[in-house]
Amino acid sequence: MARMKFLCDDERCIECNACVTACKNEHEVPWGINRRRVVTIDDGIPSEKSISVACMHCSDAPCAAVCPVDCFYTTENGVVLHDKDICIGCGYCFYACPFGAPQYPQEGAFGARGKMDKCTFCAGGPEEDNSALEVEKYGRNRLAEGKLPLCAEMCSTKALLAGDGDIVADLFRSRVVRRGGRSDNWGWETAYKD
Amino acid sequence: MKLLTLLFAVLLLSACYEDTDVTFHEAGIYKGSEDKHAISAEERADVLEQRFKRVQTDR
Repeated sequence: MARMKFLCDDERCIECNACVTACKNEHEVPWGINRRRVVTIDDGIPSEKSISVACMHCSDAPCAAVCPVDCFYTTENGVVLHDKDICIGCGYCFYACPFGAPQYPQEGAFGARGKMDKCTFCAGGPEEDNSALEVEKYGRNRLAEGKLPLCAEMCSTKALLAGDGDIVADLFRSRVVRRGGRSDNWGWETAYKD
Repeated sequence: MKLLTLLFAVLLLSACYEDTDVTFHEAGIYKGSEDKHAISAEERADVLEQRFKRVQTDR
């Protein structure tokens, strides 16, 4: 069984933010919500590195562990999704997430916190695949169309990889062997136990 | 007149109807909608593997 994972190769990421733009455009994510973002470490000095970060779809997802209404579920492909009809927008998952993935749109005149929104690995939500309701609530369901997340497919340097964890790891390993140096699959130790 | 008032009251109150069908929470149990797919997880994995090899491998 495939276990979907993200991997960002920090030696390849050029901080172009195409992944961020692709995600926002594909799912028509509202202003102020970033399902994916590029983080730069040591900006301006020789050890500068950039990493594209979103929900990593963790094995033992801390967001699901702290959710007081249990709105999270994990698909057979290992993608962590949630039901917005159950979510109460409490914000606990934001505090629990080591990657800062959960986002909350402002709702109402006083900017109250709305239902949580996060990366879906382009797998939509529990609604019928690519129905108007699913697209409106969660964005497009590319996995149902046999496609992988657009952020990774759009990455010009192929820094961001998305797919079955074994295949992604094999590809990354072959890169490390070819170029030498240390293997740094950022975030994997935190996110994945299997 | 009384009948008309009653009819008016019924119509007015029916507009205030609120769905009381709530989901009762049970700790650790997901009670949201079921996520159904047209193809099985195995078939989907094969399709996505082919897609990965076509789109994301190094050039």
